Amino acid sequence: MNRKENRKGIGRIVAVLAGAAALTLISCGSRGRELKNLIQEDEGGERVVNLFSPMEKTDPNAENVARSASDLTIAMAEEELGVTVAYKTYTAEDYQDKTYDEITLDRAHNNMDDLYLLNPDVILALGEEGELMDLSGLESAKNLRDIVKTANTVDGKLVAIPQEVVAYGLFVNKDMFDEYGLSLPETPEEFLECCRVFKENGIETPIGANRWWLETFVFAQAYADLYNGGNTEAEIAALNSGEARYSDYMRPGFEFLKELIDRGYVDAEKALVSEAIEGEGEDFLAQKTPIVMAYWGAANTETAYGKTDFEMQVIGFPSSRGQMPVVPITGFGVGAEAEHAEDAAKVLDVITSDEALQVYSETNRVISPSKNVSVECVPALKPLNDRIEEGVYVLGSNAGMKVEQWGNTCLIVRELLGGATVDECMAAFDRLQDETAGGE
Amino acid sequence: MKEKTGKREERRNRSLFISIVLVFLILGTIVYTVSRKISEEMSLAAIQNLSESLDLIQYTIEAILRNEAEFQAMIAREAAQADDPEAYIRSYEKNRTMVKLSLILSGKTEGISNDGEPFTEEELDFSAGGTINGMPVSQAYMNYMGTWAYTMKCPVERNGQEIGTLYVEYIYDSIDESLPNGFYNKQASLYVMDAESERFILKPKGMGQRSAGHLNLDDFYRANDIREESIRAEVAECLEEGKDLLFYHDIRGVDALNYMWAINGGTIFLVGYVPVEAIQQEGSTVNQNIFLVVAAMLVAFLSCVALYYINWRQQDKIRKEQEQERKVHSEQLAEALQAAQIASNSKTMFLSNMSHDIRTPMNAVLGFASLLAVDADDPVKVREYTKKITASGQHLLRLINDVLDVSKIESGKVVLNFEKFTLSDVVSSVEAIIVPMAKEKRQEFHVEVTGIRNEYLVGDETRINQVLLNLLSNAVKYTPEGGHILFRMIGLKQRSSQYEHIRIEVEDDGCGMTPEYLETVFDAFTRAENSTTNKVQGTGLGMAITKSIVELMGGTIEVSSQVDKGSLFTVEIELRIQEQREDKQFWEERGISRILVVDEDAENCENVQELMRDTGVCLDAMRMEEALIRLREGSGQYQLVLLDWDAPELDGTRAAGMLRGVLPDDVPLLFLAEYDAEGVEEALLTKNSALLAKPFFVSSFREKIREMWGDIGGDDTKEPGQADSLEGLHFLAAEDNEINAEILTEVLKMEGAFCEVVENGRLAVERFRQAAKGEFDAILMDVQMPVMNGYDAAKAIRRLEREDAGSIPVIAMTANAFAEDEKAALEAGMNAHVAKPLDVELLKKVIRKYVR
Repeated sequence: MNRKENRKGIGRIVAVLAGAAALTLISCGSRGRELKNLIQEDEGGERVVNLFSPMEKTDPNAENVARSASDLTIAMAEEELGVTVAYKTYTAEDYQDKTYDEITLDRAHNNMDDLYLLNPDVILALGEEGELMDLSGLESAKNLRDIVKTANTVDGKLVAIPQEVVAYGLFVNKDMFDEYGLSLPETPEEFLECCRVFKENGIETPIGANRWWLETFVFAQAYADLYNGGNTEAEIAALNSGEARYSDYMRPGFEFLKELIDRGYVDAEKALVSEAIEGEGEDFLAQKTPIVMAYWGAANTETAYGKTDFEMQVIGFPSSRGQMPVVPITGFGVGAEAEHAEDAAKVLDVITSDEALQVYSETNRVISPSKNVSVECVPALKPLNDRIEEGVYVLGSNAGMKVEQWGNTCLIVRELLGGATVDECMAAFDRLQDETAGGE
Repeated sequence: MKEKTGKREERRNRSLFISIVLVFLILGTIVYTVSRKISEEMSLAAIQNLSESLDLIQYTIEAILRNEAEFQAMIAREAAQADDPEAYIRSYEKNRTMVKLSLILSGKTEGISNDGEPFTEEELDFSAGGTINGMPVSQAYMNYMGTWAYTMKCPVERNGQEIGTLYVEYIYDSIDESLPNGFYNKQASLYVMDAESERFILKPKGMGQRSAGHLNLDDFYRANDIREESIRAEVAECLEEGKDLLFYHDIRGVDALNYMWAINGGTIFLVGYVPVEAIQQEGSTVNQNIFLVVAAMLVAFLSCVALYYINWRQQDKIRKEQEQERKVHSEQLAEALQAAQIASNSKTMFLSNMSHDIRTPMNAVLGFASLLAVDADDPVKVREYTKKITASGQHLLRLINDVLDVSKIESGKVVLNFEKFTLSDVVSSVEAIIVPMAKEKRQEFHVEVTGIRNEYLVGDETRINQVLLNLLSNAVKYTPEGGHILFRMIGLKQRSSQYEHIRIEVEDDGCGMTPEYLETVFDAFTRAENSTTNKVQGTGLGMAITKSIVELMGGTIEVSSQVDKGSLFTVEIELRIQEQREDKQFWEERGISRILVVDEDAENCENVQELMRDTGVCLDAMRMEEALIRLREGSGQYQLVLLDWDAPELDGTRAAGMLRGVLPDDVPLLFLAEYDAEGVEEALLTKNSALLAKPFFVSSFREKIREMWGDIGGDDTKEPGQADSLEGLHFLAAEDNEINAEILTEVLKMEGAFCEVVENGRLAVERFRQAAKGEFDAILMDVQMPVMNGYDAAKAIRRLEREDAGSIPVIAMTANAFAEDEKAALEAGMNAHVAKPLDVELLKKVIRKYVR
């Protein structure tokens, strides 16, 4: 009886399996073909906004916080507007190549792109040429801090809006300062003293430098009084009218730089061919160099100085008024004649909105250009942040000055690095000031 | 044997397991091979596919370049035709492809561009030697538009004479527009590299591709961690010779197919990588499907194996069960066989015993009969011989009864005959038989009854008697002279209020039994020793009958025994209690409301009180001294005093005297004593006293009171001989056996009665029908007769249309001696049943009962 039942049970299972197999075969064989066009049509034309921005030559595996932060806001714009933001990038392979700024100018002149990430000097240059759209009508423009508006307003037009206020400072290896019993320098004299001690203790080049950012030393000393003396507008007016000379402001800084070079605290030859961070970063991280200069974001970014084996602090540049942050305002500009100018402006409006800037600042821990957004900075940046919060800083760029500062000073510093005397450099400033005046 | 089977099974299981593993291994190998083959084929196909895609891109770019070259040649021709070639150039506006046209006239180092700016060849590098349609093409450079560009130059010839060189600048962005916007589902990356400078001049668009590594070839190597010298050397060779190259290398942890694809003879290269996963998408899908199918098959196979296993397990279980069953069966068979053999042996032995046992008395009968014939004239000897013949005959009868009983019990034909009875009757009848037997062997026999709550019970009294007699007679039999036999009847805790739960113990200090014998003591046809050599006579059936009867009554019987120490038989039975309770009226009628029990033993008092509890009589139990004080004080109006004669510290005679002294004369004094108590006779001489035999039972107590109060009428007190006399009676007897008929006739004749014998039932019926009224006083009816048996005859007689047909006593006289035979006789309408062989006294008693 039992055996019979078992057989019956097995028989049933076999029948079910056979049925299942048959069904499978039928379902495989009977897939019909529909008689229609199989190509999926695009839903409307794709709206593209071309964004031109620099690309770092960095380790591909490292997390680039700045880029991630920016990407997050771009994604917000793409989602909100239904556009695709196509990145165009350029990075100079070496110092002989055209610089990013040069390429930016060329591309902007030829309307190659829609949205540009611009350095201060390029903002002024393109703004003056009328290549950039007036962004003052954007919603996001209303939230901007005055300092940003001041720096990026050319001929009454707001031509660029940044996602962060870039403050430059000295990145110092606090451990090494402590090792030699040095306190962090406030004035140029103290700074020189520190370098001397380092040098004497076998550190060959106490300051790591590149061809871009040495000018921050100059700005700190040149404009410490101008921006913090309470008479800023008058002094700028005097410079614009020619009553005051840029060379007078710049000279102490240049002489200071000259002294650093002469004493061997800066390797001029190496600096002249070094790209930012790439050139000096390695030695700084390896604790061979106790001092470098960089922008705020470098302290947050692993690809720069976000992760050090030592205690790092970011302080202002030495000046007669103590440690002085240098703030050149960068920003995104929209080509006035760009093919997709309208969409580009919309994208910009989204990526500089309070919402986007909140995301950006939180990811990146930077000073936001919006007065409505603030986040806490990393501990290393505290000294620098404190100064800025006090309102003590100098601008690295100012569209209100007729002579463009950020780009020109950089170039003239390179001449100094290349062997020019301080007087020759001052002559260059005078020439620039005169040309500008003459142009008018 | 078992071990061998186990090993064989183990070997079989192992080989089965190995075969399954082998099947799996082969299946796995096949699947692996097939999937490898598919993978390889897919991979080859994918490489082919990628090559074709790259070829297509290559041809597209080369076509563009050729078109540009042809167009440039055309412009050069047109410029040559122009009067002022420079003016012609200036008139040209840039477009998306040709962003700058310049002309340097022969013999000059500086020419002019279409934007009016002066132009020199200085910034252009044609050293790489690349050409398109024979036109030299420069290295890539970043042009004034901030984008990668190249320039082709061609001579401007007029009338076969070169008048200048036309330079046209093209931007790679225009080629970019013709390239696919990502291929292999956008997983592939595509760069265009300038071969000479190894710079990447076109890069993938979009956010996801902004990773580092697209500056130049070195940057690409670094970013993608391509460090192997061999690969780099091969790449260098490709660049040198303008060959295509495909190689596998991980790109950021993903296995990828990398490519270097020469365009325009190697002036520019397509560089990039495709993740292998993207190439082998179909392959891996196919493999996944194969895996799925294999997994499904595996699951199916395992299911089948599992099903088979379960089935096998069940079969195995059934087989084992069957085997077990068979084993049990064969064991049972073996046991049965053994039992049968034992039974057979026992029966053989029984038969031999029987033959001896029967021959012995038979020998006595025949021997004494022949002696009788010789000494017929000597009345003393005749009497002695007949006495011995009677004894031997009785022994023979017992033997036959036992044998018949066993055969009936064994064939399940015994029916219990439930009737009301009292325990006192049982005890006294047993006592009456056993006491003389014990006395004969000078054994001490004691009866104890304790804890009995009800003595009026319902049951088969005869069978109970049979059990007790069997046990006790055995005890007497197997206990030597001077031994002790104890008969205890103990009331146990009732399980149901309707049943009295009784334990009966028969204990002796006799010869006991060996453990081996104990095992078979209750089997039929066994005896403690082979009786042919033993002086103890018996059938060997008694205990078997006893056990069967006890079990028939729903009871149990157990025995414990030790050789030479004695045996203890314990019977436990439950007997239904009679519904009719103790009649209070009996006591009231006789004015008995208070009885004094004088006893030194408290337990005895309790027993008496317990038994008397329903009588409504107040029982005061106390010790002698107390009793005397009480009686002297005159307190307590006792109608009767009961004295325990056997109290050890009490001299019964003296006690009786003292009690009598303080008791009024009209209060009876009863001595509760054992049958053989000393001095009782003497004490009985005192006034108004009587003996009540132990053990105490209410029924016997009542009987005694009735006796003392003079209730028992003169009817029952007449002389037995007189009462049973058959003088002058006429009987009709139906008996087919002549000898029996003769004996009957003679016996009755001796009693002074007349008997007419007929040969069968029919004749009896006929004879009675014809008889005059009152001719016969009774009909004695044999049962087994030819023509018509006794039952039918009795029925027929009762049916006769005669006045006395219903009233004439019909008494069965038959060798069918069992209870059910008696029952059948009564049912057939007969009045009584007397078993053969004839017991004259019993017959007389019965006849007198029914015949007036």
